Amino acid sequence: MAQTAAAEDPALRERFERDVLPLLPSLYAAALRMTRNPADAEDVVQDTYLRAYRGFSSFQEGTNLKAWLYRILTNSYINTYRKKQREPQTVDGPDDIDEWYLYDRLGGRNVELSAETEVLDRMPDQAVKDALESLPENFRLPVLLADVEGFSYKEIAEIMDTPIGTVMSRLHRGRKALQKALWDTAKERGLVDDDDA
Amino acid sequence: MTTPDCGPNCMETLREIESFLDGELDVTVQQQIEVHLSDCNPCMQRAEFRRHVKVMIRSKCTGDTVPSALEQRIRSLLDEPPVVQ
Repeated sequence: MAQTAAAEDPALRERFERDVLPLLPSLYAAALRMTRNPADAEDVVQDTYLRAYRGFSSFQEGTNLKAWLYRILTNSYINTYRKKQREPQTVDGPDDIDEWYLYDRLGGRNVELSAETEVLDRMPDQAVKDALESLPENFRLPVLLADVEGFSYKEIAEIMDTPIGTVMSRLHRGRKALQKALWDTAKERGLVDDDDA
Repeated sequence: MTTPDCGPNCMETLREIESFLDGELDVTVQQQIEVHLSDCNPCMQRAEFRRHVKVMIRSKCTGDTVPSALEQRIRSLLDEPPVVQ
């Protein structure tokens, strides 16, 4: 019979409340970007907290708590949600997109850098979220973990259980795809002129 | 790709720009790129643009409101009696 160790140990429970509960907003936001659906995000986050609480006694204090939780979150997403959805694993990448796709479109017009970045700053939060969520999962997760959560390549490799070279390659291709998605979103919302086609 | 024409270090700098902005390069290479950027405005512009994109994504892809029911369910997990698995 396995027990919820933290529920029996007041000190462990207190540490869980102090260190893990405050991460709920960022874990929920990450789950939303992963699942692209509030109901599924709630399921994944709840499952993550359940697993984390049950396994908390085995977590070594002083090691990387955030990476440990995101590994559980990622596994929970992959194991439960992805199987259910049968989302196809995209292997092909956006290889035809230039690395400077967005810069060349926003910046290749001899305007001040501030004018280019102003377009990005004017984009509503939801538009940027939509752009990120439009990426295929293989590229979405590394971009989410690196650019939104600030994890290192090594941490992402551990979280996703993927070789570091694969992480770097997917991150690079994911960022290119995101540039195109951001440009498309900016066009749709009339934030830029569609005169470069 | 249109690469700024300001010396042999531009190609190398732009090839490494993501790792540079991610802080993933060796200290020596990181410093070499910083030196190049301080001397090369076109590369600096590109680097600053990419840095801005990163910051913008980070600031705009968070802040989703956690449903209070979810928070309640998670808090109640902590009060559950030992679970038979």
